[in-house]
Amino acid sequence: MSGRFRARDQVAIVGYAQSPVTRHADRSLGALTVETARAAIADAGLEADQVDGFVTATLFPTSGAHAVVDGVSVVSADWLAARLNPNPRYAAGFSGLGQIPGSMALAVNAIASGAADHVVVHRALHNPRGSYHATSSTEFAGPMQWTAPQGFFGPLAMIALTYNEYVQRYGASREALAEVVVEARKNGARLPWSYWADRPLTREQYLAEPMLDDPISRFDCDIPIDGVAAFVLTSAERARDLPHRPVHVSGYATGAPPTRRLPAHWPLDDLVSAGATMAERLWASAGMGLDEIDLVQVYDGFSPLVYLWLEALGRCPVGEGHRYVRDGGIDSDRPGADPVLLSGGSLGNGRMHGVPQLLECYLQVSGRAGDRQRPDVTTALSCHSSPHLGGALVYSAEAG
Amino acid sequence: MTAVERPEARPVDTQRPVPVPDELSAPFWAAAARHELTLARCSDCGTLTHPPDLVCDACGSTSPRFAATPVDGRGVVRSWTVVRQSFLPGFADLVPFVLVDVQLVDPALAGQPDVRLVGRLLDGVDAPLSAGAAVRVAFEQLRPDLAVPAFELAAS
Repeated sequence: MSGRFRARDQVAIVGYAQSPVTRHADRSLGALTVETARAAIADAGLEADQVDGFVTATLFPTSGAHAVVDGVSVVSADWLAARLNPNPRYAAGFSGLGQIPGSMALAVNAIASGAADHVVVHRALHNPRGSYHATSSTEFAGPMQWTAPQGFFGPLAMIALTYNEYVQRYGASREALAEVVVEARKNGARLPWSYWADRPLTREQYLAEPMLDDPISRFDCDIPIDGVAAFVLTSAERARDLPHRPVHVSGYATGAPPTRRLPAHWPLDDLVSAGATMAERLWASAGMGLDEIDLVQVYDGFSPLVYLWLEALGRCPVGEGHRYVRDGGIDSDRPGADPVLLSGGSLGNGRMHGVPQLLECYLQVSGRAGDRQRPDVTTALSCHSSPHLGGALVYSAEAG
Repeated sequence: MTAVERPEARPVDTQRPVPVPDELSAPFWAAAARHELTLARCSDCGTLTHPPDLVCDACGSTSPRFAATPVDGRGVVRSWTVVRQSFLPGFADLVPFVLVDVQLVDPALAGQPDVRLVGRLLDGVDAPLSAGAAVRVAFEQLRPDLAVPAFELAAS
């Protein structure tokens, strides 16, 4: 088994739409999703009745006690299909982490197999009123019984434990992490749709921010938002007749943790070992290696994940990510640097999960990035979530 | 197992969330109420795990018939964080507190996958901590019949 993706570059992204990213939208998440999907379909030069496939991931990443209501706090593929083109040939939801690689893979496979011709992949994220993660629950059944009564609860403590393990082992400094966050916010400030549009963050502001769960501060976490993005995919063959330069999916991979753990427990070694496996799968699937990728966009929902993705992909050795970002190493304004947060990431957009990374790869390879357009980007790679539970996609301008 | 004071002598905090024992977890919580740390031993392959699952991770047994097996409660700190804002009821008066990620080192675990627990370090936020620091399990009494595992520095 070579691991090579047989449908390599046979399915393409042909259009997109990104809603404004706001703390609380002025209409329902469902309405925002319908509008955004319609805009993406129009952008692709298609009509809604041509869309016969709908894919999403509905994860609502809160540990708080918020109701999951379709159309309100999440938007499923079925919900959207019912309002755009009822009874589609294909509707599916991805249920794991790494929602963007996961749902894109479902869509690509559906088109490559002929299960659908035109698929909308959307991601709708909601910021409920009240505290995002807090709960008043006084009893925990199931997996959380092993953590919450002991005081281990929520994603802040999760990433703080992982990152402090990294800090202790490799000597990473807060000043290095400042470079990550400032870079994300700088790029995000340039995006008209971003929650952080025109609001960059200074190094001094970052360093002055108090800890929430040491060594993680508020600025190391993406801010909860209401926001929707949608992408239209079709076959490379059909893509030739559509208005925009298609961006083909060359391959994808997701991780798999080596060991079953407590809920939200991410030991550093798990991320490193499963991340290496994920990267091997990715290169095998895409039929190319890191040195053939023109633009890499890493995931940054928590800032330390930037180091872990850089290391998992082989941009630098394990333990060196915090040095790689120093001295302008990822500065999108410095010639010759590696602008892995050109998308603004989640830190610079708001909690759009892996959308910014996918969107930037699409815009750059299709030549639609406007003022941010970089020359000669014909291949790209986007990441989402963690290297051990999430995944990555590789894109190419060339049809397979 | 280390002798401990009688549970009734410990302060009781009824505000904190409590576990709801189920068929798999009930033996663990029953032992914890006696201030005894147990891991789940698969009756087919003998591997110790935590928490117990429906299928044994090590041998794939779908009928692992886990036995709650006492361990010595010693471990080393692999990581930690100072929690300064809790999202749970009952912890507002406890912040800031330290959470430790502990790899248990009972000799019975030699040669098998690591077992990690996360819990509060009861020595306070100023206690000297470093990766590899030795700790031992302690128990926080939440109700007269309920205790949850936590840790203390072994040198303290």
